[in-house]
Amino acid sequence: MSKSYKSKKILVKRRYQILAAILFLLALGLVLLPKYKENEGIDPELFVKNALSTERYISTDVLADRLINQDPTVLLIDTRSEDEFNEFSLPDAVNIPVKDFFNENLNPFLDQNVFDVILFSNDNFYANEAWMLGNRLGYTNLYILKGGLNEWFSTIIDPKYPDETMPREAFELYSFRKAAGMYFGVGEAESKTEEKPVQKKKVVTVPKKKKRAPEGGC
Amino acid sequence: MGPLIPNGLIPIEWNFVIAILIGIAFGYIMEATGFSSSRKLTGVFYGYDFAVLKVFFTSAVVAVIGLYYMDYLNFVDISQLYVQPTYLWAAIIGGIIMGVGFLAGGFCPGTSLCAVAIGKIDGMVFTVGLMIGIFIFSESFSILEPFFESSNLGHVTLVDSLGISPYWIILIITVVALIAFAFSDWVRSKVKKVFY
Repeated sequence: MSKSYKSKKILVKRRYQILAAILFLLALGLVLLPKYKENEGIDPELFVKNALSTERYISTDVLADRLINQDPTVLLIDTRSEDEFNEFSLPDAVNIPVKDFFNENLNPFLDQNVFDVILFSNDNFYANEAWMLGNRLGYTNLYILKGGLNEWFSTIIDPKYPDETMPREAFELYSFRKAAGMYFGVGEAESKTEEKPVQKKKVVTVPKKKKRAPEGGC
Repeated sequence: MGPLIPNGLIPIEWNFVIAILIGIAFGYIMEATGFSSSRKLTGVFYGYDFAVLKVFFTSAVVAVIGLYYMDYLNFVDISQLYVQPTYLWAAIIGGIIMGVGFLAGGFCPGTSLCAVAIGKIDGMVFTVGLMIGIFIFSESFSILEPFFESSNLGHVTLVDSLGISPYWIILIITVVALIAFAFSDWVRSKVKKVFY
């Protein structure tokens, strides 16, 4: 074996060793690199786009219509506290307060694409917070009841009678709301005239004056 | 940012064009490495040439290290990459058949086409056999289907089944690769040289 061949062989071997060392160092680098938690969820641009869009709002009238028609795809989620939920909520609503939004047990309610999840609170505030969290996590089909329960009260439970100068649609809407209110069991109480127990008139017995026997005489 | 096509940075129509370009580059590199020679390919079984082991192992390790660095730098989202589903027993039986065919015929499907491209007769014969095999498999698929689809583990990776951080798995595989290279060099030095 010539000397130049031998030195060439050593050089090639050295080259392989360097390449092997680089490969090892790169792999080691992956292990040693400081880990950072990648933000889960959708792209920030899409998030902002979704947040600016008003498509997430659903009006009380639409919701009432869907509930009356027993739409099976509606899933109502009350984002208020448990006490408030116990006091009053919409029919068949599930209580998931905003602070429990990351509770994994409740995830199946939110992270799905079967139901239209309608979030609501007293106004838009908590529902919007919940929606933002859900949207960031990439949940689909999240909606917000526009105006929340306050709006629900002022439109469905206690709708205002339209002015006489208002168009016909306003009166139709009013009658729809009134009927919806009755469906949710509010109007009925009004329509039924309470039967007041008929109070028996107290019979004041006035003792008849006994006719006096004529006394005396002139 | 990436993968580029699923995220719409490259229109999906470019899919096949890019695939053809990558295919040409792949074929060129395989032929340039000498993988169109069946003697070189089967050398790994007889211990006189470990180019197959070295090339494929190196490419796998380089690719995985590169991908995870790109993932770390947010150039590629690893979770968006497609993972082939694992059909455990079908893969084991298929691997044995493939191994036997590889050793007997001297090619694997890709390298046989490389050999055809440079006009090798054994490569052509192998490719005809390959087509016959594909035909038989396709025609008898209805019989083989229950076995083929049994033991489907889904889109699992070592990270899922071992529960270890992917970075450690990469490091371990890199070390295993380097040991395999050193070992193959040692084996080669002990085996009689074959010139072809």
